[in-house]
Amino acid sequence: MEIKIEGVVKQFPPDILALRNITITIPQGDFVYLVGPTGSGKTTLMRLITREVVPTKGRVLVGGTDLRKLGMTDLAYYRREIGVVFQDFRLLPHLTAYENLTFVQEAIGMPRDLIEERTNEILDKMGLWRRRFLYPEQLSGGEQQRLAIARATINCPSILLADEPTGNLDLQTAEEIMKILLSINATGTTLVVATHNQYIVDEFRQRVISLRGGRIIRDERKGRFEIDDDF
Amino acid sequence: MTTFKYILRDAFRLMTRNVTLSFLTLVTTVAVFFLVSCSILFVMNIRNIVAGIENNLMITAYVTKDKSSAQAVAEKIGNLECVDSVKIVTPDKALEELRARLGNQADVVTLLDDNPLPPSVEIRLKDAGAVPVVARELLSMEEVEDIVYAGELARRLETLSAFVSRFSFGVLVIALAVGALVVFNTIRIGVYARREEIEIMLLIGATPGFVAFPFVLHGSLISSFGALLAGAGVYFSYERVVSALMASMPFLNFMTDQSVVMDLWFLLVGGGLTVGWICSWLAVSKFVRRAMKPR
Repeated sequence: MEIKIEGVVKQFPPDILALRNITITIPQGDFVYLVGPTGSGKTTLMRLITREVVPTKGRVLVGGTDLRKLGMTDLAYYRREIGVVFQDFRLLPHLTAYENLTFVQEAIGMPRDLIEERTNEILDKMGLWRRRFLYPEQLSGGEQQRLAIARATINCPSILLADEPTGNLDLQTAEEIMKILLSINATGTTLVVATHNQYIVDEFRQRVISLRGGRIIRDERKGRFEIDDDF
Repeated sequence: MTTFKYILRDAFRLMTRNVTLSFLTLVTTVAVFFLVSCSILFVMNIRNIVAGIENNLMITAYVTKDKSSAQAVAEKIGNLECVDSVKIVTPDKALEELRARLGNQADVVTLLDDNPLPPSVEIRLKDAGAVPVVARELLSMEEVEDIVYAGELARRLETLSAFVSRFSFGVLVIALAVGALVVFNTIRIGVYARREEIEIMLLIGATPGFVAFPFVLHGSLISSFGALLAGAGVYFSYERVVSALMASMPFLNFMTDQSVVMDLWFLLVGGGLTVGWICSWLAVSKFVRRAMKPR
C-alpha cells in the first residue's frame, strides 16, 4: 500500500506546531528512515499513518484511502494492515512471550490452529522459541525488541512502523534487529523506521527523510545520517 | 466460532482476575434484585387485597329477626336497576361463612352458646357509584336495622395502594440505579485495569465490538446471575411468607399464585441481563471511543 502525505500541517493545542506542510510519498515496499532531533515530528508522522493523529490541514492517503474518512470499524480493519513496534516495546507484562503473540492474533479473530502454527513459526524465526514461556521482564532488551517485532509482523502487515527499534540496544543487537527488519522489507512490507542511530542508518543505507522543527529538510535515496542537517 | 470462544474465555478471565470485585458486585446485584422483587410483590399483594375488597363490594343489610323481613327487603331492593344480585343469609349460614373465613381460628366460634348473628341480605351492586343511593333506600326500610358496606374502606385502600405503588416504584428505581452504578463501576475498573491491552488491541486492528464484548458479557453475566439468585430466593421463600401472613390475617386476600412469582423470576433475569448489558456497554464503549478518537 502506498502512503501519501499531502500538505500536512499538525498543530496540537494550544499552539504547538508539530508538522508544517509535509508532503511525502512512500511507495509499497519502500524502506524509509525518519531521522531528526527529538521533537522534530518523527513520531507524529508515524502516528498520522496509524491514524492516532489526524492532520490539522492536508490529508493522509494509504492505499488510496483518505484516513480521515474511516469509520471506527473500517479503521480497525485498516490497522490490521499496519504493524507497529513501539519505542518502549509495550509488551503485556502479565503474558508470556508466547501469549503476547497469540493475544494479537486472537484480537483479530484468527482461527486457533493458525494462531499456534504462526506463533511457533515466528518464535523460531526470531530465535525466541526456547524463551517462549518467559515473561517480558525475564527477557533481555534485544529479546524484548525481537518479540515486539514478532508481534508487529505476525499478522503479516503491509506496512511496518518502528519507532526507535534499536534504541537502548548494544551495537550487535541493533545490527541483528536491522537484519530482521530488512528481511521483513524484502518480503514486500513497507518499512518506516524512526531512529537516532547513526550507525544503522549509515550501515544499512536506505531512503532517509530528515525532519527538523516539523519540516522535511532532506529526502534522499540511499542517504546517510548527517549530523549537521539532522541535529 | 473462534471469536465467540475468545469472547467467552476473556469474559471468564475478567471475572477470575477480579474475583473479589466480581463477588461483591454479584452480592450487590442479588440484594438489589431481591429488593426490587420484594417491592414488586408488595405492590401486587396490596393491589390484590384492594381488588378483593372491591370485588366483594356489596351492602349487607341486617334485618329484624322476623322471618319475612329478609324476604321483603330482598324483593324491594332487587327491583332496583343498579342491583346485580340479592342473597338472603340466614343466621346459620352467616355462622358457617364466619367459620370458613376464620380458617384455623374457626374454633373460636364454638365458644359461642347461641348464634348471635342476625339474618341479613347481601346486595351486590353493578356499580360502586350506586352505593350511597342503595344505602339510603335500605335505611328508609323499617325491616332494616343496620347496614354495612366496604365502599369507603375500598376507596381509602385504593388511595393507600396508589401511594404504596408510587413509593415502591421509587424504591425500585433507586435500587436499579444503585445496581446499575455498581455494575458500571465494576466494568469500568476492569476496563482501566486492562487499558494498555485494549489500546494495543485497538492499534493492531481489533474492532470496537470485539474489545467491548468480553466486558459486556462479564457485566451481563454478573447482573443476570445476581437476578437469578435473587429470584430463586424470592420464589422459594414467598409461599412460606404468604402462608404465615394468611394464618395471622385470614381475612386479607393475599396473592397465592406461585406462577406469578415464577413469571417475576423470569422477568428479573431478563431485567438483570438488560441492566448488565446496558451498563457494561456504556462503561466500555465510552473508553473504546475515547481510545480510538484521533488527536
